[in-house]
Amino acid sequence: MASSHGIQMASATATYGQKESSDQNFDYMFKILIIGNSSVGKTSFLFRYADDSFTPAFVSTVGIDFKVKTIYRNDKRIKLQIWDTAGQERYRTITTAYYRGAMGFILMYDITNEESFNAVQDWSTQIKTYSWDNAQVLLVGNKCDMEDERVVNGDRGRQLSEHLGFEFFEASAKDNINVKQTFERLVDIICEKMSESLDAGDPAVTGAKQGPQLTEQPAPPHQDCAC
Amino acid sequence: MDLDFLQSLERERVLEVLQRDKQLRLMEEDRIRRMKCELQELRRRGAKSCARQYGERTCARCQRPLGKFWNSGDVCRGCSHRICSKCRVGVGAADWKCTVCHAYRDVKIRSGEWFLEEKFKKFPVTENKYETVGETLLKTYNVLSHISVVPPTPPPHLDQQFLSRSGSLKNSIPFTKSVEDLMVSFTSHMRKISTSQSDVQGGLLYVDGGRKGSCVTFSSQKSLSDTDINKSSRLFKVPSLPNLFKRSKDSDHEGSSTGAEEETSFSSEYSGGKRGSNSSICTDGGRFESIGVAGELELALAYSGDASCLEITVGACRNLSHGDARRRRCHPYVKFYVLPEKSGKMKTTVKKNTTDPVYNEVLKYQIERHLLFGKRLHASVWHSGTLRRKVFLGEILIPLDGWRCEDKASQCFNWYPLCPKAEGPDGGAAEQD
Repeated sequence: MASSHGIQMASATATYGQKESSDQNFDYMFKILIIGNSSVGKTSFLFRYADDSFTPAFVSTVGIDFKVKTIYRNDKRIKLQIWDTAGQERYRTITTAYYRGAMGFILMYDITNEESFNAVQDWSTQIKTYSWDNAQVLLVGNKCDMEDERVVNGDRGRQLSEHLGFEFFEASAKDNINVKQTFERLVDIICEKMSESLDAGDPAVTGAKQGPQLTEQPAPPHQDCAC
Repeated sequence: MDLDFLQSLERERVLEVLQRDKQLRLMEEDRIRRMKCELQELRRRGAKSCARQYGERTCARCQRPLGKFWNSGDVCRGCSHRICSKCRVGVGAADWKCTVCHAYRDVKIRSGEWFLEEKFKKFPVTENKYETVGETLLKTYNVLSHISVVPPTPPPHLDQQFLSRSGSLKNSIPFTKSVEDLMVSFTSHMRKISTSQSDVQGGLLYVDGGRKGSCVTFSSQKSLSDTDINKSSRLFKVPSLPNLFKRSKDSDHEGSSTGAEEETSFSSEYSGGKRGSNSSICTDGGRFESIGVAGELELALAYSGDASCLEITVGACRNLSHGDARRRRCHPYVKFYVLPEKSGKMKTTVKKNTTDPVYNEVLKYQIERHLLFGKRLHASVWHSGTLRRKVFLGEILIPLDGWRCEDKASQCFNWYPLCPKAEGPDGGAAEQD
């Protein structure tokens, strides 16, 4: 669906673009949340993606933060508001309050930290509790550059992701491995959900006019029968 | 929940993030508002007029007659109206929708409304405690961020990494003892927030009273912070189908149905969601038609730092409705307020006998630049009838936040499509005077 709309929308936004600051020069906005244990590299992951920067120093995120990045995907300019959350338990009340507004999640663990991997299940439960039903989640094993210190091998990550019904990437914010791919994949699956939602929503919305529609719809099959 | 568990620096940090989020959201609202206006424009063009029989024999969009056998049109899956072959947009390989249904879907995507609908399935309105938390946090923010601008003292203890992480953090660094004191007094007020909104406002004003600055800012920002997603999901509580029925029936009765059912649902949902906020502009189609809003208003906005005033240059209007439809007369003028406190009423002169008046007048509104944050300019066009009768011809709302004043685009003339009167208590400030 997305591509078939491309031309139409591009022209619509072109007229917007003239009027408005470049800030609003996009087709739509997605909100994404990055969650996972403290120090798995959520903030670094986001900084790598949004600013293409990396600092080895660890700075604990206070509560929540976000960055905005506009990407071009499937003929659309999509503005991403990417929320970075504090992994620490003490901020949990703030961070969970933001689950509900997120269309997609990046659930991150650290491949050199068993505990962070064991917590994935709990994070997944948090998503199920606080987010919408079709929340799209990517499981990301970060720090895959640190092969020497690896304690969670890739297969375990993959198995868990299959078990939870998420897609899976191993990534490295430091070496810029799979960072962009993770976000783009997440955007794609949110887009898919969006189409599903709209197509499923259509009959419901038009339900009010179900009567005439029912009498009209059989027309095409009729013609088939006549042949 | 409140922010007591955070240390004051942490709190400031979180509030700074919330502030950025709010600005983003305001811009997004503005974008969505424009989108809706354009959709409304499209609908108006495709509307069935009262003069016309509601029949199958014309295309519901372009209203060209349809033949019995050839070019007989086909039924749009979206709105179930007969549509000629020219008013269709392909969806997928074989499917199509009429232009209005297509635009509706498009707006649903671009505004993110599809997500709000999905979310509502899981979180019906009753359960909004987290959003209340969000609002609370934002209210906190409103006070603190304003204050933090006032005392520009050098940063106290703050580790270097903290600084390097975010340049914008510099804004939040000025953090004096007095502010901390305020924070303490504020948090005591925070407890009242959950009980009632007026308490909050009182609390905010009280805190502010201790400092310099304008009380008005806070009350205005409070109302702006009410625009959470959850607010807009509240409206979905209305069972949409019966509601749709009712609405479509009403508008059909008026002879002004645009036909597409989903549109009606769209506007009802949206106007509902925005009703609590200042951005409430486009209301549902029925009302829209009944007041016959049409045309556009040409404005240029600039902020003059030297004179510390907002300069509103009113260019012209075009294609206005006739204020006196019977005699086809129109003596239009444009009136301005700054919302939400409805201050600074300004008017242009009245132009006689025209639906395309040219004003080229500059109106000035004295205001400090930093006070523009959270304000909106409300412009309404009125017909000045006989015996001081005023007829509403349309309105627009423009956010006056800093981003827009720096914006080169808004400093030159822009045509803004006029919208019907907003119904919200704080958005629809366009009563007759």
